[in-house]
Amino acid sequence: MTPDSPIKLVSELLDLPLYDTEGVYCGVVDDVEFSGRPGKDLQLKALLVGPGAYAGRVPGWAMSLVKLVAGDRLTRVPLEKVRSIGTAVHVECPGRDLSLHKSEASAGKWMPRWGAL
Amino acid sequence: MNPLELTLGIMTAVGGFVDISELVFAAKAGSQFGYALVWVFAFSTFGIIVFSEMSGRVAAVAKQPVFNLMRHRLGLKLGLVALAASIISNLITCAAEIGGVALVLNYLTGAPYPLMAIVITLLLISSIWVLSFKWIERVYGLLGLFMIVFAVALVALRPPWGAIARGFVPQVPHGLSTKELLTFAYFVVAIISAVMFPYEVYFYSSGGIEEGWGPKDLITNRVTAILGMGLGSLLGIAILSNSAQLFGPTHVDPVIPGSVALEAAIPFGKWGLIIALLGMFFAVAGAAVETCLANAYSIAQFFGWIWGRQKQPWEAPRFTITWIVLFALALAIVLTGVDVMTLVEFAILFSILVLPLTYLPLLMLSGDRKYMGQYVNGPIGKTLGWIYFAVITLAAIAALPLYFLTSGGNG
Repeated sequence: MTPDSPIKLVSELLDLPLYDTEGVYCGVVDDVEFSGRPGKDLQLKALLVGPGAYAGRVPGWAMSLVKLVAGDRLTRVPLEKVRSIGTAVHVECPGRDLSLHKSEASAGKWMPRWGAL
Repeated sequence: MNPLELTLGIMTAVGGFVDISELVFAAKAGSQFGYALVWVFAFSTFGIIVFSEMSGRVAAVAKQPVFNLMRHRLGLKLGLVALAASIISNLITCAAEIGGVALVLNYLTGAPYPLMAIVITLLLISSIWVLSFKWIERVYGLLGLFMIVFAVALVALRPPWGAIARGFVPQVPHGLSTKELLTFAYFVVAIISAVMFPYEVYFYSSGGIEEGWGPKDLITNRVTAILGMGLGSLLGIAILSNSAQLFGPTHVDPVIPGSVALEAAIPFGKWGLIIALLGMFFAVAGAAVETCLANAYSIAQFFGWIWGRQKQPWEAPRFTITWIVLFALALAIVLTGVDVMTLVEFAILFSILVLPLTYLPLLMLSGDRKYMGQYVNGPIGKTLGWIYFAVITLAAIAALPLYFLTSGGNG
Protein backbone atom coordinates (compact mmCIF):
# COMPACT_ATOMS: atom_id res chain seq x y z
CA MET A 1 0.00 0.00 0.00
CA THR A 2 1.28 3.50 -0.81
CA PRO A 3 0.21 6.75 0.88
CA ASP A 4 -2.06 7.69 -2.08
CA SER A 5 -3.86 4.30 -2.16
CA PRO A 6 -7.30 4.23 -0.55
CA ILE A 7 -7.14 2.94 3.00
CA LYS A 8 -10.02 0.58 3.69
CA LEU A 9 -10.02 1.01 7.44
CA VAL A 10 -8.17 3.28 9.79
CA SER A 11 -7.71 0.19 11.97
CA GLU A 12 -5.31 -1.14 9.32
CA LEU A 13 -3.04 1.78 10.04
CA LEU A 14 -3.50 2.40 13.74
CA ASP A 15 -0.96 0.84 16.13
CA LEU A 16 1.47 -0.10 13.36
CA PRO A 17 5.18 0.31 14.14
CA LEU A 18 7.05 3.10 12.39
CA TYR A 19 10.58 2.79 10.96
CA ASP A 20 12.83 5.42 9.37
CA THR A 21 15.19 5.18 6.38
CA GLU A 22 17.98 3.94 8.65
CA GLY A 23 15.80 1.07 9.87
CA VAL A 24 15.51 2.65 13.32
CA TYR A 25 12.31 2.00 15.27
CA CYS A 26 10.66 5.42 15.66
CA GLY A 27 7.43 4.66 17.47
CA VAL A 28 3.90 3.51 16.79
CA VAL A 29 1.06 5.11 14.81
CA ASP A 30 -0.99 6.19 17.81
CA ASP A 31 -3.63 8.17 15.94
CA VAL A 32 -4.27 9.77 12.56
CA GLU A 33 -5.25 13.26 11.43
CA PHE A 34 -7.76 13.83 8.65
CA SER A 35 -8.63 16.86 6.57
CA GLY A 36 -12.09 17.44 5.12
CA ARG A 37 -15.52 18.50 6.26
CA PRO A 38 -19.06 17.10 6.32
CA GLY A 39 -20.23 16.12 2.85
CA LYS A 40 -16.68 16.12 1.44
CA ASP A 41 -14.12 13.32 1.16
CA LEU A 42 -11.98 12.67 4.17
CA GLN A 43 -8.27 12.64 3.42
CA LEU A 44 -5.54 11.31 5.61
CA LYS A 45 -3.23 14.20 6.45
CA ALA A 46 -0.78 13.02 9.08
CA LEU A 47 0.17 10.24 11.46
CA LEU A 48 0.29 11.10 15.16
CA VAL A 49 3.05 9.40 17.12
CA GLY A 50 3.50 9.39 20.90
CA PRO A 51 1.34 8.73 23.97
CA GLY A 52 -0.10 12.26 23.74
CA ALA A 53 -2.28 10.86 20.94
CA TYR A 54 -3.90 8.30 23.27
CA ALA A 55 -6.09 11.02 24.80
CA GLY A 56 -9.03 10.45 22.45
CA ARG A 57 -8.68 6.68 22.48
CA VAL A 58 -8.53 5.69 26.17
CA PRO A 59 -10.43 6.76 29.32
CA GLY A 60 -9.05 9.66 31.36
CA TRP A 61 -7.82 7.54 34.27
CA ALA A 62 -5.87 5.28 31.86
CA MET A 63 -4.40 8.36 30.22
CA SER A 64 -3.11 9.58 33.62
CA LEU A 65 -1.34 6.23 34.14
CA VAL A 66 0.13 6.32 30.63
CA LYS A 67 1.35 9.88 31.24
CA LEU A 68 3.05 8.74 34.43
CA VAL A 69 4.93 5.92 32.67
CA ALA A 70 5.51 7.26 29.15
CA GLY A 71 4.78 11.01 29.22
CA ASP A 72 2.40 12.73 26.81
CA ARG A 73 4.62 13.79 23.95
CA LEU A 74 3.02 13.93 20.51
CA THR A 75 4.80 14.15 17.15
CA ARG A 76 3.04 14.78 13.85
CA VAL A 77 4.34 12.95 10.78
CA PRO A 78 2.92 14.52 7.57
CA LEU A 79 1.67 11.95 5.10
CA GLU A 80 4.09 13.30 2.45
CA LYS A 81 6.90 11.89 4.57
CA VAL A 82 5.47 8.35 4.52
CA ARG A 83 7.11 6.01 2.00
CA SER A 84 5.04 2.84 2.47
CA ILE A 85 2.36 1.29 4.65
CA GLY A 86 2.30 -2.48 5.12
CA THR A 87 2.80 -4.55 8.22
CA ALA A 88 4.84 -1.53 9.35
CA VAL A 89 4.98 2.12 8.29
CA HIS A 90 8.22 3.35 6.72
CA VAL A 91 9.01 7.06 6.51
CA GLU A 92 11.29 8.49 3.84
CA CYS A 93 13.80 10.31 6.06
CA PRO A 94 15.74 9.74 9.29
CA GLY A 95 13.51 9.87 12.38
CA ARG A 96 15.48 12.77 13.88
CA ASP A 97 14.41 15.01 10.94
CA LEU A 98 10.81 14.51 12.08
CA SER A 99 11.70 15.03 15.78
CA LEU A 100 10.78 11.41 16.45
CA HIS A 101 13.78 10.77 18.69
CA LYS A 102 13.55 13.87 20.90
CA SER A 103 12.43 12.02 24.03
CA GLU A 104 15.14 9.36 23.57
CA ALA A 105 17.75 12.08 23.14
CA SER A 106 16.73 13.94 26.29
CA ALA A 107 16.57 10.69 28.33
CA GLY A 108 20.02 9.73 27.08
CA LYS A 109 21.68 13.05 27.89
CA TRP A 110 22.55 12.21 31.48
CA MET A 111 23.28 8.51 30.97
CA PRO A 112 26.92 7.44 31.44
CA ARG A 113 28.61 6.27 28.24
CA TRP A 114 30.99 3.70 29.65
CA GLY A 115 31.22 0.20 31.03
CA ALA A 116 29.30 -1.72 28.38
CA LEU A 117 31.05 -4.32 26.20
CA MET B 1 23.22 -22.97 10.49
CA ASN B 2 26.42 -22.85 12.54
CA PRO B 3 26.57 -26.10 14.62
CA LEU B 4 28.53 -24.42 17.45
CA GLU B 5 26.02 -21.56 17.67
CA LEU B 6 23.16 -24.05 17.58
CA THR B 7 24.67 -26.22 20.33
CA LEU B 8 25.31 -23.17 22.48
CA GLY B 9 21.73 -22.02 21.85
CA ILE B 10 20.33 -25.38 22.92
CA MET B 11 22.56 -25.58 26.01
CA THR B 12 21.59 -22.01 26.92
CA ALA B 13 17.91 -22.89 26.63
CA VAL B 14 18.43 -26.01 28.80
CA GLY B 15 20.31 -24.11 31.52
CA GLY B 16 17.85 -21.22 31.44
CA PHE B 17 14.66 -23.31 31.52
CA VAL B 18 14.16 -23.85 35.24
CA ASP B 19 13.19 -20.96 37.48
CA ILE B 20 12.20 -20.59 41.13
CA SER B 21 8.52 -21.46 40.55
CA GLU B 22 9.35 -24.65 38.68
CA LEU B 23 11.88 -25.64 41.35
CA VAL B 24 9.37 -25.14 44.14
CA PHE B 25 6.31 -26.66 42.44
CA ALA B 26 8.22 -29.64 41.01
CA ALA B 27 9.55 -30.52 44.47
CA LYS B 28 6.19 -30.00 46.17
CA ALA B 29 4.34 -31.92 43.45
CA GLY B 30 6.70 -34.90 43.80
CA SER B 31 6.48 -35.02 47.58
CA GLN B 32 2.66 -34.79 47.64
CA PHE B 33 1.60 -36.79 44.59
CA GLY B 34 4.57 -38.99 43.66
CA TYR B 35 4.98 -39.31 39.90
CA ALA B 36 1.33 -38.52 39.12
CA LEU B 37 2.09 -34.98 37.88
CA VAL B 38 4.97 -35.85 35.53
CA TRP B 39 2.54 -35.74 32.58
CA VAL B 40 1.58 -32.14 33.40
CA PHE B 41 5.25 -31.12 33.10
CA ALA B 42 5.52 -32.95 29.79
CA PHE B 43 2.20 -31.53 28.49
CA SER B 44 3.09 -27.94 29.48
CA THR B 45 6.58 -28.27 28.01
CA PHE B 46 5.04 -29.27 24.69
CA GLY B 47 2.84 -26.16 24.97
CA ILE B 48 5.72 -23.77 25.61
CA ILE B 49 7.63 -25.37 22.71
CA VAL B 50 4.63 -24.77 20.40
CA PHE B 51 4.26 -21.11 21.42
CA SER B 52 8.00 -20.34 21.58
CA GLU B 53 8.48 -21.74 18.09
CA MET B 54 5.57 -19.57 16.91
CA SER B 55 6.92 -16.43 18.56
CA GLY B 56 10.43 -17.07 17.17
CA ARG B 57 8.94 -17.61 13.69
CA VAL B 58 6.93 -14.37 13.93
CA ALA B 59 10.10 -12.53 15.02
CA ALA B 60 12.14 -14.05 12.18
CA VAL B 61 9.57 -13.52 9.42
CA ALA B 62 7.56 -10.42 10.39
CA LYS B 63 10.72 -8.94 12.03
CA GLN B 64 8.51 -7.62 14.80
CA PRO B 65 8.33 -8.78 18.40
CA VAL B 66 5.16 -10.10 19.96
CA PHE B 67 4.17 -6.98 21.90
CA ASN B 68 4.34 -4.70 18.83
CA LEU B 69 2.04 -6.97 16.95
CA MET B 70 -0.14 -7.64 19.95
CA ARG B 71 -1.06 -3.98 20.18
CA HIS B 72 -1.94 -3.80 16.51
CA ARG B 73 -4.12 -6.91 16.84
CA LEU B 74 -5.80 -6.18 20.19
CA GLY B 75 -6.12 -2.42 19.73
CA LEU B 76 -4.93 0.23 22.15
CA LYS B 77 -7.41 -0.34 25.01
CA LEU B 78 -7.15 -4.13 25.23
CA GLY B 79 -3.43 -3.82 24.48
CA LEU B 80 -3.05 -1.56 27.52
CA VAL B 81 -4.90 -4.11 29.66
CA ALA B 82 -2.54 -6.86 28.40
CA LEU B 83 0.46 -4.61 29.06
CA ALA B 84 -0.64 -3.74 32.61
CA ALA B 85 -1.38 -7.39 33.42
CA SER B 86 1.96 -8.57 32.05
CA ILE B 87 3.88 -5.82 33.89
CA ILE B 88 2.32 -6.87 37.22
CA SER B 89 2.83 -10.58 36.56
CA ASN B 90 6.44 -10.18 35.38
CA LEU B 91 7.30 -7.80 38.22
CA ILE B 92 6.06 -10.23 40.87
CA THR B 93 7.86 -13.07 39.09
CA CYS B 94 11.06 -11.02 38.99
CA ALA B 95 10.73 -10.27 42.72
CA ALA B 96 10.24 -14.00 43.39
CA GLU B 97 13.39 -14.81 41.37
CA ILE B 98 15.45 -12.15 43.19
CA GLY B 99 14.17 -13.46 46.53
CA GLY B 100 15.07 -17.00 45.42
CA VAL B 101 18.64 -16.06 44.46
CA ALA B 102 19.04 -14.10 47.70
CA LEU B 103 17.96 -17.21 49.63
CA VAL B 104 20.51 -19.36 47.76
CA LEU B 105 23.23 -16.78 48.54
CA ASN B 106 22.07 -16.79 52.14
CA TYR B 107 22.49 -20.61 52.25
CA LEU B 108 25.92 -20.40 50.60
CA THR B 109 27.37 -17.54 52.66
CA GLY B 110 25.22 -17.20 55.79
CA ALA B 111 24.95 -13.44 55.13
CA PRO B 112 21.57 -11.79 55.90
CA TYR B 113 18.83 -12.34 53.30
CA PRO B 114 17.91 -8.64 52.74
CA LEU B 115 21.58 -7.74 52.24
CA MET B 116 21.95 -10.59 49.74
CA ALA B 117 18.85 -9.35 47.89
CA ILE B 118 20.45 -5.90 47.51
CA VAL B 119 23.80 -7.38 46.45
CA ILE B 120 22.28 -9.69 43.86
CA THR B 121 20.12 -6.92 42.39
CA LEU B 122 23.19 -4.70 41.97
CA LEU B 123 25.09 -7.62 40.42
CA LEU B 124 22.26 -8.35 37.99
CA ILE B 125 21.99 -4.68 36.96
CA SER B 126 25.77 -4.50 36.44
CA SER B 127 25.83 -7.69 34.39
CA ILE B 128 23.08 -6.45 32.05
CA TRP B 129 24.82 -3.09 31.68
CA VAL B 130 28.21 -4.66 30.92
CA LEU B 131 27.34 -7.74 28.83
CA SER B 132 25.84 -7.84 25.35
CA PHE B 133 22.57 -9.74 24.81
CA LYS B 134 24.30 -12.87 23.54
CA TRP B 135 26.62 -13.02 26.54
CA ILE B 136 23.84 -12.32 29.03
CA GLU B 137 22.03 -15.36 27.60
CA ARG B 138 25.15 -17.50 27.56
CA VAL B 139 26.55 -16.66 31.00
CA TYR B 140 23.34 -17.41 32.87
CA GLY B 141 22.18 -20.22 30.58
CA LEU B 142 25.46 -22.11 30.45
CA LEU B 143 26.26 -21.74 34.16
CA GLY B 144 22.68 -22.83 34.87
CA LEU B 145 23.76 -26.21 33.45
CA PHE B 146 25.04 -27.02 36.95
CA MET B 147 21.37 -27.96 37.40
CA ILE B 148 22.16 -31.19 35.52
CA VAL B 149 23.31 -32.47 38.93
CA PHE B 150 19.60 -33.11 39.65
CA ALA B 151 19.33 -35.43 36.63
CA VAL B 152 22.56 -37.21 37.66
CA ALA B 153 21.20 -37.51 41.21
CA LEU B 154 18.05 -39.14 39.81
CA VAL B 155 20.14 -41.84 38.11
CA ALA B 156 22.28 -42.30 41.25
CA LEU B 157 19.17 -42.74 43.41
CA ARG B 158 18.06 -45.71 41.24
CA PRO B 159 14.43 -44.64 41.00
CA PRO B 160 11.55 -46.87 39.88
CA TRP B 161 11.88 -46.02 36.18
CA GLY B 162 8.65 -47.84 35.37
CA ALA B 163 6.69 -45.61 37.77
CA ILE B 164 8.29 -42.49 36.27
CA ALA B 165 7.43 -43.69 32.74
CA ARG B 166 3.81 -44.34 33.85
CA GLY B 167 3.77 -40.75 35.16
CA PHE B 168 3.90 -39.51 31.55
CA VAL B 169 0.39 -40.92 30.98
CA PRO B 170 -2.30 -38.33 31.88
CA GLN B 171 -3.90 -39.48 35.14
CA VAL B 172 -5.61 -38.48 38.36
CA PRO B 173 -4.48 -40.63 41.31
CA HIS B 174 -7.15 -42.98 42.71
CA GLY B 175 -8.57 -42.70 46.20
CA LEU B 176 -8.06 -38.97 46.74
CA SER B 177 -10.46 -37.09 49.01
CA THR B 178 -12.26 -34.03 47.60
CA LYS B 179 -9.75 -31.77 49.34
CA GLU B 180 -6.82 -33.73 47.87
CA LEU B 181 -8.43 -33.69 44.43
CA LEU B 182 -8.71 -29.89 44.58
CA THR B 183 -5.07 -29.66 45.66
CA PHE B 184 -4.10 -31.94 42.76
CA ALA B 185 -6.05 -29.69 40.38
CA TYR B 186 -4.31 -26.62 41.84
CA PHE B 187 -0.92 -28.23 41.19
CA VAL B 188 -1.93 -29.00 37.59
CA VAL B 189 -2.78 -25.30 37.07
CA ALA B 190 0.36 -24.12 38.90
CA ILE B 191 2.70 -26.34 36.86
CA ILE B 192 1.08 -25.23 33.58
CA SER B 193 1.59 -21.61 34.69
CA ALA B 194 5.19 -22.16 35.86
CA VAL B 195 6.26 -23.92 32.67
CA MET B 196 4.39 -21.59 30.30
CA PHE B 197 5.23 -18.26 31.98
CA PRO B 198 4.41 -15.41 29.55
CA TYR B 199 7.80 -13.75 30.05
CA GLU B 200 9.46 -16.70 28.31
CA VAL B 201 7.69 -15.91 25.03
CA TYR B 202 8.31 -12.13 25.26
CA PHE B 203 11.99 -12.76 25.98
CA TYR B 204 12.38 -15.44 23.32
CA SER B 205 10.80 -13.41 20.51
CA SER B 206 12.57 -10.18 21.47
CA GLY B 207 15.81 -12.18 21.65
CA GLY B 208 15.19 -13.36 18.09
CA ILE B 209 14.92 -9.74 16.95
CA GLU B 210 18.01 -8.79 19.00
CA GLU B 211 20.00 -11.50 17.22
CA GLY B 212 18.69 -10.42 13.81
CA TRP B 213 16.84 -13.66 13.00
CA GLY B 214 15.46 -14.04 9.50
CA PRO B 215 13.73 -16.86 7.60
CA LYS B 216 17.12 -18.64 7.31
CA ASP B 217 17.09 -19.05 11.11
CA LEU B 218 13.76 -20.86 11.24
CA ILE B 219 15.41 -24.26 11.64
CA THR B 220 17.60 -22.92 14.46
CA ASN B 221 14.44 -21.54 16.05
CA ARG B 222 12.63 -24.87 15.81
CA VAL B 223 15.55 -27.00 17.01
CA THR B 224 16.37 -24.63 19.91
CA ALA B 225 12.73 -24.54 21.02
CA ILE B 226 12.24 -28.32 20.82
CA LEU B 227 15.57 -29.58 22.14
CA GLY B 228 16.46 -26.72 24.50
CA MET B 229 13.10 -26.54 26.20
CA GLY B 230 12.46 -30.29 25.99
CA LEU B 231 15.76 -31.17 27.67
CA GLY B 232 15.37 -28.27 30.13
CA SER B 233 12.02 -29.67 31.16
CA LEU B 234 13.68 -33.02 31.94
CA LEU B 235 15.52 -31.21 34.75
CA GLY B 236 12.15 -30.18 36.20
CA ILE B 237 10.93 -33.77 35.90
CA ALA B 238 14.15 -34.99 37.58
CA ILE B 239 13.52 -32.62 40.52
CA LEU B 240 9.93 -33.87 40.79
CA SER B 241 11.01 -37.52 40.63
CA ASN B 242 13.81 -37.07 43.19
CA SER B 243 11.31 -35.43 45.49
CA ALA B 244 8.82 -38.28 44.97
CA GLN B 245 11.50 -40.76 45.97
CA LEU B 246 13.20 -38.87 48.80
CA PHE B 247 10.58 -36.60 50.36
CA GLY B 248 7.28 -38.32 49.57
CA PRO B 249 7.71 -41.53 51.62
CA THR B 250 9.02 -39.57 54.64
CA HIS B 251 6.21 -36.97 54.36
CA VAL B 252 8.70 -34.11 54.04
CA ASP B 253 7.07 -31.03 52.46
CA PRO B 254 9.82 -29.05 50.67
CA VAL B 255 8.36 -25.69 51.63
CA ILE B 256 11.58 -23.72 51.18
CA PRO B 257 13.67 -23.64 47.97
CA GLY B 258 16.70 -24.89 49.92
CA SER B 259 15.07 -28.30 50.41
CA VAL B 260 15.43 -28.93 46.68
CA ALA B 261 19.24 -28.80 46.96
CA LEU B 262 19.08 -31.76 49.38
CA GLU B 263 18.10 -33.94 46.40
CA ALA B 264 21.72 -33.70 45.20
CA ALA B 265 23.23 -33.63 48.70
CA ILE B 266 21.75 -37.02 49.65
CA PRO B 267 23.51 -39.04 46.90
CA PHE B 268 26.64 -36.86 46.45
CA GLY B 269 27.27 -35.21 49.83
CA LYS B 270 28.76 -31.74 50.28
CA TRP B 271 29.85 -31.31 46.65
CA GLY B 272 26.44 -32.35 45.42
CA LEU B 273 24.91 -29.69 47.64
CA ILE B 274 27.31 -26.98 46.44
CA ILE B 275 26.81 -27.82 42.75
CA ALA B 276 23.03 -27.90 43.22
CA LEU B 277 23.08 -24.49 44.94
CA LEU B 278 25.31 -23.06 42.19
CA GLY B 279 22.94 -24.43 39.54
CA MET B 280 19.96 -22.94 41.36
CA PHE B 281 21.81 -19.63 41.74
CA PHE B 282 22.57 -19.22 38.03
CA ALA B 283 19.26 -20.66 36.77
CA VAL B 284 17.16 -18.44 39.05
CA ALA B 285 19.39 -15.37 38.50
CA GLY B 286 19.01 -15.95 34.74
CA ALA B 287 15.24 -16.07 35.19
CA ALA B 288 15.37 -12.77 37.12
CA VAL B 289 17.23 -11.19 34.19
CA GLU B 290 14.77 -12.65 31.68
CA THR B 291 11.66 -11.49 33.58
CA CYS B 292 13.04 -7.98 34.02
CA LEU B 293 14.17 -7.63 30.41
CA ALA B 294 10.92 -9.17 29.15
CA ASN B 295 9.02 -6.51 31.08
CA ALA B 296 11.22 -3.72 29.71
CA TYR B 297 10.87 -5.11 26.17
CA SER B 298 7.07 -5.11 26.49
CA ILE B 299 6.88 -1.55 27.78
CA ALA B 300 9.34 -0.18 25.21
CA GLN B 301 7.71 -2.04 22.31
CA PHE B 302 4.22 -0.95 23.35
CA PHE B 303 5.09 2.74 23.64
CA GLY B 304 7.34 2.76 20.59
CA TRP B 305 10.69 3.38 22.26
CA ILE B 306 14.07 2.29 20.91
CA TRP B 307 14.81 -1.01 22.67
CA GLY B 308 17.30 -3.84 22.83
CA ARG B 309 20.36 -4.92 24.74
CA GLN B 310 22.26 -5.51 21.50
CA LYS B 311 22.54 -1.71 21.50
CA GLN B 312 24.69 0.07 24.06
CA PRO B 313 22.62 1.07 27.13
CA TRP B 314 22.84 4.78 26.22
CA GLU B 315 21.63 4.11 22.67
CA ALA B 316 18.26 2.94 24.02
CA PRO B 317 18.03 5.20 27.10
CA ARG B 318 14.35 4.86 27.96
CA PHE B 319 14.58 1.07 27.65
CA THR B 320 17.67 1.10 29.91
CA ILE B 321 15.99 3.29 32.52
CA THR B 322 12.96 0.98 32.42
CA TRP B 323 14.84 -2.24 33.23
CA ILE B 324 16.83 -0.52 35.99
CA VAL B 325 13.62 0.88 37.56
CA LEU B 326 11.93 -2.53 37.26
CA PHE B 327 14.82 -4.20 39.09
CA ALA B 328 14.59 -1.53 41.81
CA LEU B 329 10.81 -2.13 42.14
CA ALA B 330 11.29 -5.90 42.34
CA LEU B 331 13.94 -5.40 45.03
CA ALA B 332 11.58 -3.08 46.93
CA ILE B 333 8.94 -5.85 46.92
CA VAL B 334 11.50 -8.33 48.31
CA LEU B 335 12.63 -5.86 50.99
CA THR B 336 9.07 -5.45 52.30
CA GLY B 337 9.78 -8.83 53.93
CA VAL B 338 7.16 -10.79 52.00
CA ASP B 339 8.02 -14.48 51.99
CA VAL B 340 9.61 -15.88 48.79
CA MET B 341 7.06 -18.71 48.69
CA THR B 342 4.21 -16.20 48.83
CA LEU B 343 5.81 -14.31 45.93
CA VAL B 344 6.14 -17.56 43.98
CA GLU B 345 2.45 -18.32 44.54
CA PHE B 346 1.38 -14.82 43.44
CA ALA B 347 3.68 -15.05 40.40
CA ILE B 348 2.05 -18.33 39.39
CA LEU B 349 -1.44 -16.95 39.93
CA PHE B 350 -0.96 -13.67 38.03
CA SER B 351 0.86 -15.43 35.19
CA ILE B 352 -1.88 -17.93 34.51
CA LEU B 353 -4.39 -15.07 34.39
CA VAL B 354 -2.23 -13.27 31.79
CA LEU B 355 -1.47 -16.37 29.68
CA PRO B 356 -4.58 -16.26 27.42
CA LEU B 357 -3.99 -12.56 26.69
CA THR B 358 -0.39 -13.37 25.74
CA TYR B 359 -1.03 -16.35 23.54
CA LEU B 360 -4.23 -15.29 21.71
CA PRO B 361 -2.61 -12.47 19.66
CA LEU B 362 0.39 -14.70 18.99
CA LEU B 363 -1.87 -17.41 17.60
CA MET B 364 -3.72 -14.89 15.44
CA LEU B 365 -0.53 -13.31 14.13
CA SER B 366 1.29 -16.53 13.35
CA GLY B 367 -1.80 -17.64 11.43
CA ASP B 368 -2.07 -14.39 9.44
CA ARG B 369 -0.74 -14.74 5.89
CA LYS B 370 -0.39 -10.95 5.56
CA TYR B 371 2.39 -11.03 8.17
CA MET B 372 3.74 -14.53 7.75
CA GLY B 373 3.42 -15.28 4.01
CA GLN B 374 4.47 -18.88 3.33
CA TYR B 375 5.60 -19.32 6.96
CA VAL B 376 2.04 -19.07 8.31
CA ASN B 377 0.94 -21.76 10.84
CA GLY B 378 0.31 -25.13 9.22
CA PRO B 379 -2.68 -27.31 10.18
CA ILE B 380 -0.69 -29.07 12.96
CA GLY B 381 0.62 -25.83 14.47
CA LYS B 382 -2.84 -24.24 14.25
CA THR B 383 -4.58 -27.21 15.88
CA LEU B 384 -1.99 -27.54 18.66
CA GLY B 385 -2.05 -23.78 19.26
CA TRP B 386 -5.84 -23.65 19.69
CA ILE B 387 -5.89 -26.79 21.88
CA TYR B 388 -3.30 -25.24 24.21
CA PHE B 389 -5.14 -21.92 24.14
CA ALA B 390 -8.33 -23.69 25.29
CA VAL B 391 -6.40 -25.46 28.06
CA ILE B 392 -4.72 -22.29 29.40
CA THR B 393 -8.03 -20.43 29.26
CA LEU B 394 -9.65 -23.16 31.36
CA ALA B 395 -6.66 -23.09 33.73
CA ALA B 396 -6.94 -19.30 34.01
CA ILE B 397 -10.66 -19.57 34.88
CA ALA B 398 -9.97 -22.28 37.48
CA ALA B 399 -6.86 -20.68 39.01
CA LEU B 400 -8.42 -18.21 41.47
CA PRO B 401 -11.13 -20.53 42.85
CA LEU B 402 -8.58 -23.35 43.26
CA TYR B 403 -6.11 -21.00 44.94
CA PHE B 404 -8.66 -19.95 47.56
CA LEU B 405 -10.19 -23.42 48.02
CA THR B 406 -6.78 -25.01 48.66
CA SER B 407 -5.04 -22.09 50.42
CA GLY B 408 -2.48 -21.97 47.63
CA GLY B 409 -2.02 -25.73 47.40
CA ASN B 410 -1.45 -26.14 51.12
CA GLY B 411 -4.67 -28.09 51.67
